[in-house]
Amino acid sequence: MATKQVRYEALVKALHADLYRYGYWLCHDKHIAEDLVQETFLRAWRALDSLKDEKAAKSWLITILRRENARRFERKRFEMSEYEEATITDVMATSSEQDIENHWLRDKIAKLPEEYREPLVLQVIGGFSGEEIASMLSLNKNTVMTRLFRARNQLKEAVDNEPTLRGLQNG
Amino acid sequence: MDDLQFRRSILADPKSRDDATNAAINNDPAKQKFANEIDALNNEISKAVNVSVPDDLANKLILRQTLASHQQHKSKKRVRLAMAASVAFVMGLTINFMMFSNTYKNLGDYAIAHVNHEAKHFSNDATASVSLASLNEKMALFHGSFDSTLGKLLFADYCRFSGSNSLHLVFQGESSPVNIFILPSDEDMEFIANFANEKLQGNSLNFNQSNIIVVGDKNEPIQQWQERVNKNITWSI
Repeated sequence: MATKQVRYEALVKALHADLYRYGYWLCHDKHIAEDLVQETFLRAWRALDSLKDEKAAKSWLITILRRENARRFERKRFEMSEYEEATITDVMATSSEQDIENHWLRDKIAKLPEEYREPLVLQVIGGFSGEEIASMLSLNKNTVMTRLFRARNQLKEAVDNEPTLRGLQNG
Repeated sequence: MDDLQFRRSILADPKSRDDATNAAINNDPAKQKFANEIDALNNEISKAVNVSVPDDLANKLILRQTLASHQQHKSKKRVRLAMAASVAFVMGLTINFMMFSNTYKNLGDYAIAHVNHEAKHFSNDATASVSLASLNEKMALFHGSFDSTLGKLLFADYCRFSGSNSLHLVFQGESSPVNIFILPSDEDMEFIANFANEKLQGNSLNFNQSNIIVVGDKNEPIQQWQERVNKNITWSI
């Protein structure tokens, strides 16, 4: 019992931040993200004995979280328009110049199509390779690489095309 | 490596560059510039993606799990308690059944067993005797009385006879004590008029409310004893 508790606490401490961030980019809501993380860890606790390989813990937890998120839509199907997503991400507190820049980019990331954003978030937050992302999302590796390319390409274009707006906000 | 392929590879995964990509970067300043731009962009993306995490989230998670597993533990405890209670209950029933169930098929078998069991306590030459008055006092429970003590009464007391209360009388016999049992007739054991084993023999008499069982050794005129009982007993109801 005690060792399970210790394992669990270690798992929470090491991975809750990444998991929360991933959840946040899935649902664009701080509170829902928190709920998702809570559900995920509760499920993880119940199934902790089945987790043999500690290295696989992160992708295991992310898989649980994705399933929880999907379940959320099974339970209650509510529409989230692109407009809403953008406004929700706008709520982020901004204090410094760096934050303002992040804020602008965050907005752009939130506006990326879901299928581009998810692999990007997994790669950046989770540090997963193309193969790992492909197996988590049940896609083939080439598709994942193409989506990653398109995601960054769109962001790059956005950055290149809106220098005035950025300047305005920075100023 | 052509430009499109280079761009795809850099944009898809800026951090892992294979040899071909590295070679392309080193040979072409434009590509190097592009790679640096994307690196910078990727840094920006990392910063943007790493939204701030609620400070107490880790503690909340641990707390919630602790509470949940405490609940689980409590309900497990309850289940264990219920199981222990069931086991104790079944054991109680079993012991009850074993202690008070009829191991003997009929009155005769039981009477013989009873006599054998107590044989060592009674000697035919015992000097003790029980008066008629105290005998009849005890007989009151069975709503009967004796006109005489039928012989030398050595012992008279209530005995547990196959789970029901009975009166056990021991008389001096020819060579060994004669036992008479008076017990309620609402006995769930089979009534048997005559019975015997290698040493002992016995007769049962059925009255309205009581059975009277006489057990003695083979030398004993059991029939006579029975008649004596029959003549001397008076039932009050």
